[in-house]
Amino acid sequence: MLTPVVRDDYSAPFFDATARGELLLRYSPSSGEWSEPAAMVCSVTQAQDLEWRASSGRGELVSWTIKPGRARDDQPVVDTVIGVVEFAEGPWLSLQLIDLPPSDLRVGLPVRVDFVQPEGGEHVPVGRGAAG
Amino acid sequence: MNTHAAIVGLGMTELGRVYGRSPAQFAVEAITRAAADAGLTLGDIDGLLVNPGIDNHIDLRLQSALQMRNTRLLAGIQSFGSSAGQMVQQAAMAVASGMADVVACVYADAPLTEGKGAGASYPGQRRAMQGVGVLAAAAGLKAAPERYAVAARRHMETYGTTSEQLGAVAVAARQWAVMNPQAQMRTPITLEDHQASRMIADPLRLLDCCLVSNGAIAVIVTSAERAATLRQPPVHVWGWGQAHPGYVNRRGSDFGLVTGAARSGPDALAMAGVTVEEIDVREIYDCFTFTTLVTLEDYGFCAKGEGGEFVASGALGPGGSHPTNTGGGELSSHYMWGMTPLSEAVIQARGQGGERQVPKHDLIMVSGNGGVLDFHSTLVLSPHELT
Repeated sequence: MLTPVVRDDYSAPFFDATARGELLLRYSPSSGEWSEPAAMVCSVTQAQDLEWRASSGRGELVSWTIKPGRARDDQPVVDTVIGVVEFAEGPWLSLQLIDLPPSDLRVGLPVRVDFVQPEGGEHVPVGRGAAG
Repeated sequence: MNTHAAIVGLGMTELGRVYGRSPAQFAVEAITRAAADAGLTLGDIDGLLVNPGIDNHIDLRLQSALQMRNTRLLAGIQSFGSSAGQMVQQAAMAVASGMADVVACVYADAPLTEGKGAGASYPGQRRAMQGVGVLAAAAGLKAAPERYAVAARRHMETYGTTSEQLGAVAVAARQWAVMNPQAQMRTPITLEDHQASRMIADPLRLLDCCLVSNGAIAVIVTSAERAATLRQPPVHVWGWGQAHPGYVNRRGSDFGLVTGAARSGPDALAMAGVTVEEIDVREIYDCFTFTTLVTLEDYGFCAKGEGGEFVASGALGPGGSHPTNTGGGELSSHYMWGMTPLSEAVIQARGQGGERQVPKHDLIMVSGNGGVLDFHSTLVLSPHELT
C-alpha cells in the first residue's frame, strides 16, 4: 500500500519520533509558527531557526483524491484514499487515509495521525478518522 | 526596448504514436521545419533555447547536432509546462537587446514506447524514497493525475464545481480537434462519454487527462523589422508574464483555488496594453480539464469560482463566445507541453487554421503551466505589429 521510506541524516529525528508514535513538525521559536517536516525556513517568516517539535497529531481534511484499486485474482479491490490534512498547528501533510469510507470524506473532517511501518521502511504517518 | 519581437517560423514533426526516433532527432526536424517555414536557413539561427521533456532527453548538445557555428544565445530552459512561453520571452528580450537576431525555441520528447500504454509514460516519483520530502509520494501522490485531483477536489468543494463541468472542457476540446488534421483524437465525444470514462484519480476521469505524445515543435523568433521580410505572416509578441505562486503548504494556502495565472495574465495584458475583454482566442495549457477551468478564471474571463458555469455554457467550443484551445489542446490534439497552445496560437494568428480558423483573431492569449499549478507563463500574441 504505502511505499517504504528510508531515513537520511535530516529526517533521523522525524523517524525516531514516528517509531514511538509521535509526529514532529518544524517550529520557529522566533515567529511561533509551524512548518511542514521538509521546510528549510519558516513557512510564514522565512526565519532560519526551525527546530523539531511534537504536533498534537490532530487536524482536519482540506482535500483528497481516491485512486481506484486494481482488480487482482481473488483479491478484493481496495481503493486508496489520500488526503491533505491541515494539522491544528497549521502545516499541511498529504497522508494516506485508513478506514475512512469515501462517503465520509468532507472538508473539515477531523483526522488524527497514526503510524504504519511498510516492510523495509520507517514508520510513516497516516490519517484516521478522529472518532475512530 | 524599442525592438519588438515576432514569431516567424513554426515547425511541427509528426506527433503522437511516432516511434523509432530520438527526442534529439525530433528536435532537429522541428527546427529545420521552423526555419524553412520562416524562409530562413539553419545558418541564420544564432540563438537556441532548448526545453527537454520531464526526463531531460535533449540538451545543449543540440547545437552540435545542428552544426551551428554562430551561436550567441544558448540555454536549456526547464520550467516544465511553462517553458514554451518562457522561451519566447527570453528570445524576445534577446532580440530586443541585440544579443541575437534569430532564436530557435524547441521542445521535444518521446515518452511513448511502442506496445506500451500511455499511462506507463509518466510514472512520477522514481527516485529512491528517502527522507521527509517524499512522504506525499509515499502516501500515493506520485504522478500528475492524483496530484491535480487534489487541486480539483478543493476547487469543487469550495466553489461547487462539478465533474460534468470539467467534462464540458473535454467535449469542447474534442469539438475543435475533430477539425484539426494534426490532432491525435478526432472522434467526437459527449458529456456521457466523459462521465462513463474510467476514474483515474477521483475526481479526474480518463477524459479529464491530456494525451501523451512523441515528437517536437519549434518556433523561430526574430525582430518585427526582419519579420516583415520573411515568408510567413509575422505573429507579434505584444506582452508576457510569469508567476510562480510558491504555494505555502499550510493553513491559508491557495492551492487548487488560485494559480500563477492570476498574476501572470494581468501582467501580460498590461504589457500589451490591452484588457482581457479584448482577447479573441485563448490557447490554454490543458494538462487536465481542471487546468483550463482554473486558468480561465484566473485570467479574468469569468469571476473566481464561476469557471464551472462558464465552461458548461458552451463558451469554449466552436461558435462559442470564448473560443478556447482551438486545435483540441493537450486533451485531444497532442501533448507537447507549452508548445501545444503556442503552436495553435501561431496557426490562428496567421489565419491558417483551415476549418477551425476563428474569424476574429486579432489578440490571442497563450498560457503555460508546470508542476502542479506551480509555474505559469503567459503570452499575448497578435498578427498586428505593436505600435
